[in-house]
Amino acid sequence: MKQIRAQIISSSEVIPGVYLLWAQAAEIAALSQPGQFVMVRCGEGYDLMLRRPLSIHGISQDGSKLALLFAVVGWGTRWLSQRRQGESIDLFGPLGRGFVIDPGSRNLLLLAGGIGIAPLIYLAERALAAGCSVRLALGAETASQIYPRYLLPEGVEPVIVTADGSVGERGLVTDLLPRFIDWADQIFACGPIPMYRTMAATELARPVQVLLEQVMGCGLGTCFGCRIETRQGMKFVCKDGPVFELRDVIWEEIKEPASREAVIL
Amino acid sequence: MDLSVQLAPNNKHGLLLSNPVIAASGTFGYGTEHAQVIDIQRLGAIICKGTTLNPRAGNPQPRLAETACGLLNSIGLDNIGVKALIEDKAPIWCQWHVPVLVNIAGESIEEYAVLAQMLEGVAGISGIEVNISCPNVTAGGMEFGVSAEAAAAVTAAVKRGNSLPIIVKLSPNVTDIVAIARVVVNAGADALSLINTPKGMAIDITKRRPILGGISGGLSGPAIKPIAIYMVYQVAQEVAVPIIGCGGIASADDALEFIMAGASAVQVGTAILGNPRAPLDVLEGLECFMEREGIGQLSQLIGAAT
Ligand SMILES: Cc1cc2nc3c(=O)[nH]c(=O)nc-3n(C[C@H](O)[C@H](O)[C@H](O)COP(=O)(O)OP(=O)(O)OC[C@H]3O[C@@H](n4cnc5c(N)ncnc54)[C@H](O)[C@@H]3O)c2cc1C
Ligand SMILES: Cc1cc2nc3c(=O)[nH]c(=O)nc-3n(C[C@H](O)[C@H](O)[C@H](O)COP(=O)(O)O)c2cc1C
Repeated sequence: MKQIRAQIISSSEVIPGVYLLWAQAAEIAALSQPGQFVMVRCGEGYDLMLRRPLSIHGISQDGSKLALLFAVVGWGTRWLSQRRQGESIDLFGPLGRGFVIDPGSRNLLLLAGGIGIAPLIYLAERALAAGCSVRLALGAETASQIYPRYLLPEGVEPVIVTADGSVGERGLVTDLLPRFIDWADQIFACGPIPMYRTMAATELARPVQVLLEQVMGCGLGTCFGCRIETRQGMKFVCKDGPVFELRDVIWEEIKEPASREAVIL
Repeated sequence: MDLSVQLAPNNKHGLLLSNPVIAASGTFGYGTEHAQVIDIQRLGAIICKGTTLNPRAGNPQPRLAETACGLLNSIGLDNIGVKALIEDKAPIWCQWHVPVLVNIAGESIEEYAVLAQMLEGVAGISGIEVNISCPNVTAGGMEFGVSAEAAAAVTAAVKRGNSLPIIVKLSPNVTDIVAIARVVVNAGADALSLINTPKGMAIDITKRRPILGGISGGLSGPAIKPIAIYMVYQVAQEVAVPIIGCGGIASADDALEFIMAGASAVQVGTAILGNPRAPLDVLEGLECFMEREGIGQLSQLIGAAT
């Protein structure tokens, strides 16, 4: 892992309130795996003591550039959204253990709840390159929040679900599970914790990996800030995760990170 | 230019650091994790995560909450326990040039004593930092660090059990830190670290609940720096042992404030989370300052403002 200053190549609001940022970061991109993340220094001076964990959204073909996709939800992400092309940001990564595609898996079902699409695009790209078939269930509140089609990797089969039914089917991504479960060899999910709770409460006859978010201090396993108890013992979300087997997480014990967006924005 | 400091002049082993910049307990793990990120051998010393007799699970999530220029933590002493530390970490430290100090925490005086005995003679350990900001379970849960009697008893127990330099880390959650410092030094402390975190709290107004799973937490970061500096300043004039300043240090300027207030060395904690290079930045900044001001020996600056 490396701590680098990465120059921003482009940054744009691809969904209202959600930014796609590309940065020059060969030292991190080249070593990264889908599901891994970077810790981004946000703010100036001593404003914000902690870095912000953001998943690696993709890397360029030559491995020199790295993409982040982030929702503006507070001070840090707002600061990051205001950074422009040519400016540099301080990145630290790649960190954590990412998704693992079993060698025998052919058909992969990816479930994205809202901004949970961020790490799954990178996973889809890798999976397609490895010859897998990828079905991507994209869920959001409403049509405008759906990840734009022009950004989807070629070959991905998207299935769209919105809570208000404004595009695609009406419902939640998890509603699609019964339809695709038999097809899938493996399931990968990223989304809000209630989505995982729903999945955990359903009998799923397939291995499921999920990306878990907890507030993190260091990203390295030194501060013990993100430790959780799992069925495999105490784990660092940052170092042993953030990807976990769905069944290993004790969902009743998991807390959602606090939100203060109402005041901040 | 000489940045070296002797932090335990009266101890038979001594504790000579090549420079005064130390990575603080709880923010640098066991040192091993950062070895891949920065040149840890350049540090003055490393203090490992607070270690208890048995491994501990710690507090419920969330354990961290940012506040203005600060951080609240309620980790609850989640750690691997002293046995794993001796078996898995100390052998790695043996091969390092940088001295490693073990931060210990107990729930009874007996537990501190046993920890000290277990660490006696373990290769790879250069000293012990005693965290007395832990609840004294046998005496109703009050922190050892807030009672002069309990603080002195812990210090004496650790001293009896271990011949290495013993540094006692004081809690700021007291009415008179000078009084605690005095009794701890009388009980044999070779040096003092100050400060540990003042207690604080943050509320999630959406959920109308405390943010931290442990309800309250320790406040760290630049927000506490002036409190820490004043405590160092007060204590430095009253005790004869070296003081290690800690609390909100993120730059060489911060470190210099502590040194001029009377600290012989400094610890960098929370700043490492935002910037893993912070301790090295502090070190390089100190070198620049000494160069610019024509100061040959760091000791010339200790207590310069008192
Ligand atoms: C491994 C991992 C990967 C992530 N990947 C992405 C991603 O690709 N895109 C994206 O938009 N978001 C992602 N998140 C969530 C993102 O880290 C938070 O939205 C972000 O930290 C909020 O920072 P803020 O300053 O804007 O908000 P604030 O609310 O001001 O942050 C306050 C504190 O809470 C923490 N925090 C707030 N929300 C979360 C959260 N959901 N998870 C963890 N910590 C949180 C912050 O890091 C900070 O310490 C990821 C989180 C984790 C743990
Ligand atoms: C996440 C975290 C964990 C900590 N764990 C310990 C610990 O185990 N033992 C201890 O004595 N101090 C612990 N501390 C306190 C620090 O060592 C230090 O005294 C305090 O944070 C003030 O310094 P700072 O502002 O530079 O962080 C911890 C601090 C933080 C932020």
